[in-house]
Parts: sequence; C-alpha cells; structure tokens
Amino acid sequence: MIMSEGKTTEQIYITPTPVRIWHWLNALGIVTLCITGIQIRFPEYANIFGTYKAAIKLHDVAGVTVSISFFLWFFYYLFVARSLMKLYIPNLEDIKRGLFTQAFFYFFYYFLGKKNPHTATPDNKFNAIQKMSYLLIMFVFLPLVIVSGLLLMNIAPLRGWIIMIGGIKFLVDAHYLLACSFFAFLCVHVYMATLGHTPFSHLRQMWTGWEEMETRPH
Amino acid sequence: MQGFLILLTAALLPMQIVLAADAATNDCLTCHSKNTIMNKGVHLYIDPLKYGLTTHSRIGCVSCHDNVTKRHPKDKVRPSRAKCQDCHAAVFTEYDQSKHGKYADCTDCHKPHAVKPLLAVSGRDINIQCAKCHEYTKMVKSHSKWLPQATLHIDALPCITCHTGSKNYVISMYMVKNVSGSSLGGVALASFEDLLPFLSEGEKVGTLIDIDGDGAISLSELKKFNKSRKYRSISLLGTMMPEVVTHNYDILDNRRDCTFCHASGPNAQQASDLAFPEKDGTYSRIPVEKGAILDILYGTPDFYMTGFTRSNTLSIIGALIAAGGLMVPILHGTLRFFTRNRRKEQ
Repeated sequence: MIMSEGKTTEQIYITPTPVRIWHWLNALGIVTLCITGIQIRFPEYANIFGTYKAAIKLHDVAGVTVSISFFLWFFYYLFVARSLMKLYIPNLEDIKRGLFTQAFFYFFYYFLGKKNPHTATPDNKFNAIQKMSYLLIMFVFLPLVIVSGLLLMNIAPLRGWIIMIGGIKFLVDAHYLLACSFFAFLCVHVYMATLGHTPFSHLRQMWTGWEEMETRPH
Repeated sequence: MQGFLILLTAALLPMQIVLAADAATNDCLTCHSKNTIMNKGVHLYIDPLKYGLTTHSRIGCVSCHDNVTKRHPKDKVRPSRAKCQDCHAAVFTEYDQSKHGKYADCTDCHKPHAVKPLLAVSGRDINIQCAKCHEYTKMVKSHSKWLPQATLHIDALPCITCHTGSKNYVISMYMVKNVSGSSLGGVALASFEDLLPFLSEGEKVGTLIDIDGDGAISLSELKKFNKSRKYRSISLLGTMMPEVVTHNYDILDNRRDCTFCHASGPNAQQASDLAFPEKDGTYSRIPVEKGAILDILYGTPDFYMTGFTRSNTLSIIGALIAAGGLMVPILHGTLRFFTRNRRKEQ
C-alpha cells in the first residue's frame, strides 16, 4: 500500500496472464483486420499493403488468429477460470440500477470530479455498462463477424449455405457493418481505457495484470 | 429507275444466297440428319437442331463442301472440306502463332456443325472446351499457388475472361438451381427444363424476370424476382464475360494483379445482362438496368465482387457507425479537458 498527499493506492491483481495474452493478440488482430479491411473494400483509395492479394492474405491470417483466440478465451473463462457468467452476464441489479448509475457517472459526475461508483475486483472486473458492452461484443458481434468471415473465406465449398442464409451480399453487408461497429467499439474502448486512476493505469493493468487503485483514508 | 433496281437487287442478294443455301442444306440434311447414316460413319450425322443454330448454317453446306454435285453420293467423289482460315484468316493467324496452335486445331474446340455464337453459350460451356485438355483439379491446384479462392474463381469465370486480351467486360448473370443432397456448395446451372415448372403455357423464359416483357430488366423487376418465395430454389450467379474474344490465350501478367478486376470502383463496368437458358440449349440475353449489380441487397443477392460491386449506400452507413465511435472520445475528451481542474480539486 502506498500513501501520498492523504490518498492511498493499492495494487490489485486483476487480469491473469492467459487473458492478457489473449487481449493483446486480439487487439493486434482486430487493428490488422480493420486496416486490411479498408484496403479490401476500397482498393482504389487505399493501398496500404502493396498488393490487394497481400491485404487479403493478411486479413485471412488475422481473421483466423482472432477466431482461434476467441475460442481459447471462451474455453479459458468457461472451463478453467469458471468465471465467464459471473464476469460478463449482467445481474438484475446491474440492469435495474447499475446501467443508469454508471452512465450518469460517465456523462455527468465524471466531469464534476466524483469517484467512479464501481470498483474493479478480480471477481467483479466490469461495471454494468462494460458488462452489457462486452456481452454484446463478445457473445453476439464477435461470433457473427467470425462466422461471416469464415464463410467469405470459403465461398465455393459453402455456396449452398451462403445462399440459404440470404446470399453473398447479405453476408458481405453484415460483415462490413459488424466490422464498422468493431471500429467504433475500438475507439470508445481505447478512450475509456484512459479513464482510470491515471490515464495509463488501465493500460498498465492490461500489460502487467496489476491495477493501481486509489483508496481514500477512512 | 435503273438505279433503284440495282439497289433492290443488291439488297436482296444476301437473302437470295441464304434462301439458296437453305434449299441446298435441306437437300443434304434429308440424308445426313437420319440416324441410319451413322452406319457409314458417325461423323456423317449432322444434328439438324444444333446445326440450325450455327452461323455456318446461314451459308449452307456447299459453301464449305463445294465439290458436292447433284449426283452425290453416287458419283463416289469424296466431298471437299473448306479450311477454317479460308473465312477466318485473321483469327487463324493469331491462334496459329499462339502456344495453343501447336496442340489443338480449331475444330477441337469449335465443331463446325454445332458451334454457337459466344453470346449463346454459358461460361461453363466455354470452360468445358478448355477442360478437354486442362483438367479441372490440376487447374485449381496450379492457380491456387497465387490466386486466393482459386476454386471460386475457376468455377465462376470462363477461362477466357483472364486468358484473352479483352479490356472490357460485361457482367453476365445465370440462373442456378439448388442441388439438394449434394455437397455444401450444391448449386448447378439451371436448364430450360428446370425452369419449365415456373412457366405458363407459351410463356417465354425471359418473362420470369422481365415481367413487362419490354426486353430490359429493371432493378425493381430484379428485386421482385429475388424476393419472391416462389423462386426460392433458383438463384442468380454472376460472371465476367469478355467484351471481345481474342485467340492468343496468353497468360497475361496484369491479370495476376487482383486490382485488374477488383478495383474498378463502383462507377465502372456497370453493364450487365441476364442469360436465360432456351429450349434448344442456347442462351438468350436480356440487358439489366445499369447499376443494378451495386444494389445494397436484393438487386443481385448472390453476386458480389469484393472491391468492385460494393454499395455506396452501405459504405456510407458503415462510415457513419465508425464516425459515431470516433465522436465519443472527441466529445467526451473535450469536456474532460475543460473540466480537468475539477478532478484535481477532488
């Protein structure tokens, strides 16, 4: 425990190593997918990776990496850490009050300098808004973007399935809109990561696993 | 008056030649369209339906077999055969100088008594000719070395799309049927017989989509077809057909650059047509409204070329979502900057 100017900070181990490895692998993968995706959709405006083929190959490799990493993350939390439901599924209290309280903090109390109503612990890492966002991202958007991407990588052998779900245009449109949503999430996610005790405390925590937290003297 | 007669004669001359050719051809086919002639040699049989569809049928049998007399076959004179280059000199020279010239003759690909015009065949019909020498699996394997999704490209495109020098292409759409019980990619070209259950008595196959029968398919007609539950088992797949076919069949390096096809942008190559299978095995084509292939969803739900047929509307919707995400840090960050002293005080 460190004490300075009447404020006390303590170090808490929040994020275990496998999750941190997954996070940074995923981050690299999603950034690569966003950049290569821009070249794939708008080749006459963006030539970032030299050739179109290089962008497609890199997009495919990054896509497969993110897919594998997603399944590893899912099985780690479900079967090894056994905290998937606890961490990511909002409870009744989160829905009734947590969402409103947390939104009010982000959009109002934060600017008045009030303290974050949620304190992260290893068993309760996320506030209500984070839980809802990650639930949507990890359990809806990511699986959908992975499935649509895998179908798009194998159009010829899976043509029958593609036609069954509404055709290749529906698939491409869905993949593109999901990718844009991921980019939007990425912007908000990176920015929110700077709203910790210090602008870099959340970032450091995702690198080392330890979060420095402010505890006011009683 | 004299001038008028000369003009009239000149105008009617081709018709007279065709009529004369027709009469002579009918004489020939009297024997050569009978199955019994195959006893003397299979090559002597001419399928009148297939022959009737060829351009060659317009000039008639004796144009190529010019030593045939009225006494044939009693005169025992073996009919002469014209050489392809007698009429197609430029094409022959180009082909003869190509790598293919050494390995295959014109007739290996174009049977003179059954050859159809380019627009009357499907891309798959064209590829069947190529596959006589270039085995499908070997082609997939060799193309896979450099071409992403090689099977998709080889299945979707006629070989000549890349292996001829045409600079412009037309998007042609074909009807395919779902093949139940086959592999996951279970679709096959729909034949005229496959479409018959959807047609009323005497109805032309084109009217399945060209509802008003005006000889052009509008985007709304295309959407109606694609949304209809009645046609659920039929889909439209697209392919790129070269506007001009050359006979050099080179391996063109610029085709290895994906952007040759995939970066044309939504403003280029919007011309498309829809090919309908006819009873005689040929295809008739109806032009499709310009830009229909770029429609966001229902224009061509099963045809999309990445980087080329993207919808501008969808691109804008996606950009707005991305911009929404960017606005959060910009707006929140600005307020955060101006209220930074409050947090220090606390």
